[in-house]
Amino acid sequence: MAEGTLAKLARIRGGELSAAENVASALERIQELDRRINSFIELNPNALAEAEAVDRKIKRGERVGKLAGLTIGVKSNINVAGLRATCASRTLQNYVSPYDAEVIKRIRAEDGIIIGMNNMDEFACGSSGETSAFGPTDNPAAPGHIPGGSSSGGAAAIAARLCDLCLGTDTGGSIRNPASHCGIVGLKPTYGLVPRQGLIDLGMSLDQIGPLSADVAGTALLLETIAGRSDNECIMLNVDRVNYSELLREKSLKGMRIGISEKFSELTDPAIMKVIDGQIEKLRDLGAEIVEVDLPNLERGLSAYYLIVSVEFFSGTRKFDGRKYGRRIEDVCGEEVLRRILRGRYISQKEYRGKFYQRALQVRTLVRRELLAAFERVDVIVGPTVPKLPHRLGTKITPMEMYAYDYLTVPANLAGICAGVVNAGRVNGIPVGLQVQGRVLGEPEVLRVMQALEAAG
Amino acid sequence: MNIKIGFEVHQQIATRRKMYCNCPTNYQDVPPNTNVCPICTGMPGAKPLPPNQRAVEAAVEIALMLGCRVYTNQTIYIQRKHYDYPDLPSGYQRTSLPLAGGGSLLGVRIREIHLEEDPGQYDPLGGNVDYNRSGIPLVEIVTEPDMKSPEEARNFLRALVRVLEYTGKVRPEAGGAMRADVNISLEGGGRVEVKNVNSIKGAYRALRYEVIRQREKLKRGLSVERETRAFLESQMVTVPMRVKETEEDYRYIPDPDIFPLILDEGWVEKIRERMAEPPHLRESRLISEYKITRAAAEVIVSERELADLYEAVAREVDPKLVAIWFRTRLKKVLNYMKLRAADIKFTPAQLAGLLRMVRDRQLTPEQGELVLRELAKHPAEPEKIIARLGLFPIKREELLPIIARAIEENQKAVEDYRSGKEEAINFLTGKVLQLTGRRADPREITRLLIEKIGKK
Repeated sequence: MAEGTLAKLARIRGGELSAAENVASALERIQELDRRINSFIELNPNALAEAEAVDRKIKRGERVGKLAGLTIGVKSNINVAGLRATCASRTLQNYVSPYDAEVIKRIRAEDGIIIGMNNMDEFACGSSGETSAFGPTDNPAAPGHIPGGSSSGGAAAIAARLCDLCLGTDTGGSIRNPASHCGIVGLKPTYGLVPRQGLIDLGMSLDQIGPLSADVAGTALLLETIAGRSDNECIMLNVDRVNYSELLREKSLKGMRIGISEKFSELTDPAIMKVIDGQIEKLRDLGAEIVEVDLPNLERGLSAYYLIVSVEFFSGTRKFDGRKYGRRIEDVCGEEVLRRILRGRYISQKEYRGKFYQRALQVRTLVRRELLAAFERVDVIVGPTVPKLPHRLGTKITPMEMYAYDYLTVPANLAGICAGVVNAGRVNGIPVGLQVQGRVLGEPEVLRVMQALEAAG
Repeated sequence: MNIKIGFEVHQQIATRRKMYCNCPTNYQDVPPNTNVCPICTGMPGAKPLPPNQRAVEAAVEIALMLGCRVYTNQTIYIQRKHYDYPDLPSGYQRTSLPLAGGGSLLGVRIREIHLEEDPGQYDPLGGNVDYNRSGIPLVEIVTEPDMKSPEEARNFLRALVRVLEYTGKVRPEAGGAMRADVNISLEGGGRVEVKNVNSIKGAYRALRYEVIRQREKLKRGLSVERETRAFLESQMVTVPMRVKETEEDYRYIPDPDIFPLILDEGWVEKIRERMAEPPHLRESRLISEYKITRAAAEVIVSERELADLYEAVAREVDPKLVAIWFRTRLKKVLNYMKLRAADIKFTPAQLAGLLRMVRDRQLTPEQGELVLRELAKHPAEPEKIIARLGLFPIKREELLPIIARAIEENQKAVEDYRSGKEEAINFLTGKVLQLTGRRADPREITRLLIEKIGKK
């Protein structure tokens, strides 16, 4: 097993491994492997210089941040000053960010090194990593298969150990889906916990930025760096920063109530379910109480989700009118992006007001109430992340087949709750992730369960 | 013929910062695209800051002054109104659902009040966009179609601008900050909307043009279609806008990046307690309270500071005399010096002192006006100004010899008067006035002259 995030961090802080060495070896690995994986669109030309600055601080004995010298990949829909935030689209292929997103400022303040911009599904519209204008990304954990999406590049980069941590974004499963397929850890935070200032829109009422990493400690570390109140945007929860790493010292699951649902097995490939059930038994062995919860309308979330996302995406993409950022989005985008724009444009018409978007918002309320009611009885809900195994790269599938990957992940976005993914095992050699959903601001419980499973192996 | 006219008036709110970002709002004073940031230029990923509270407060105050009911303790969504134009950096404009409604002004019903943000400024000739203006808060005031003539509409707009100025929270009209969409329909025709109207005068001209245009069409048996037209200020005509623009569907959605506004009832009541008395209500009150004419009251309430000054002075001296002075001599002095009431430096007590002397005939009204002019330039106690200008009232025993001398030296005029030329007396009065160094009251001179000449 490779070195854990905290162990590496300790070596850097102790001067045993320099930040510059860490960056150089990441760049070497990317150079060597990424031609095949295609997980990065652009690398940060200043990464080494930034790492050397951190090393100088360490040498002088100055205080360094909690990410000191760690290499961090950033999804290409997040603004990093001086790098291109392309959204893996031809519309923005030459858009160089003039400013840092709030999460990037927070990472820089903790001495994390932005190593580059990750590949993704175009404008985060996709669950396979194949819709990028910069070409598809391979799955290092199951070569020849899709890595999942839309944070495909970040998940693949972590799986191939090209960098230490990645920032992904999750609107309907875009962190959790590729984390599951690539056998790594990822977490979608509670809506409003992590600032979105600088995140390019998909579905603004659902989007959240979150961490991807090789281990739970890495996810906790990156999450505590980026989470917490910000006065620079409206839709933020007014919460203090939480030291998640500290809370992870509590290893036991004694007294924790963990929910499971019949609904999950109805929707999921039995082979995947078998792996998930094995993990649930482990949780029971670790002292948790397993409780059945009722989620009768869970699958209704999917269609509501695609209506909401399409309307918000249509609105958010109006700025790509061809006047300011290269060519007009509709003229150069891929099929799935165009499909969502046209769908959003269609259902937001005045004559359909109340018929689609408003109805979808009502379903969203229904799904949210159902989940929140379940959380009155349990601390977390566990189950599969994706109902089926990833297809082989290049296989033609229908839009509905593509959307079906998202059945189990969209409810957390609709409800605004948090959900993490940790590897549960493999089916036919392909990784399968266990999803742990938590209540609003339930990140500590979610991370605790994930870590317990990780430790149990 | 039955005419119906209604307005959607947009007025910039005078805040220091923009509606959803911290950029300054002095867009006319700086080079293009300097008061900008990722938010007000709609850069990819930029999210709005929480709405500017001062803009919300100003909109509420305006609503209250127009007698509207403010929709307190309920969610008021900020919506995205989508349309494609170069001045709109995000492809949508943020506009609130009504935050108040049900008011009235001069008998015209106010349907609703919204908060909006201004787009940038597009120059189609150069193909340039200046985003300095983008994101400046606007209040939108929508009326019912209650006005029946262009003249009535003009009066309404004047009254509205006066109300807006009374709040002290909008950009002065002189800056071209008021914009209106004008709706007009004639009996038997469809409703025509005229966009691009930037002044009261422009609205009046556009309406006059539309009345004639629509009336002629209907007279000839043609139909007036429902349409949107643009006003061309330079040519004073309206022209049809492209069909595409008129049939636009804005696809409104609540902005997912902004919490809806919730106006707290207690907060709104505090604004109501603090706000100025609306000018149209103040006008009625002044008439009944001080027993002054409507014409005088109208002038007095034309500016909030002028009305404040009036009330302060009227408490000290005869309110009717003060009203006459405000309507005539004070207005004249201010106009001549191009002063707004807000720029007045002298105190109410100084003006009251001056008017008291006029009342007690220690000064003639003409002398009083000279003192007033000086007071406006260099404020001081009126007694000091009088001493400086050497203005002291002439004594009767001093005046009589001067009158005798004037009669002596102007026998021709005296003859003219006696033979029935009434205006000759004015000539003589002028002569005497000159000889007294303007220290005598012309009315008194005339009276004494007639007494003398008539005696013979």
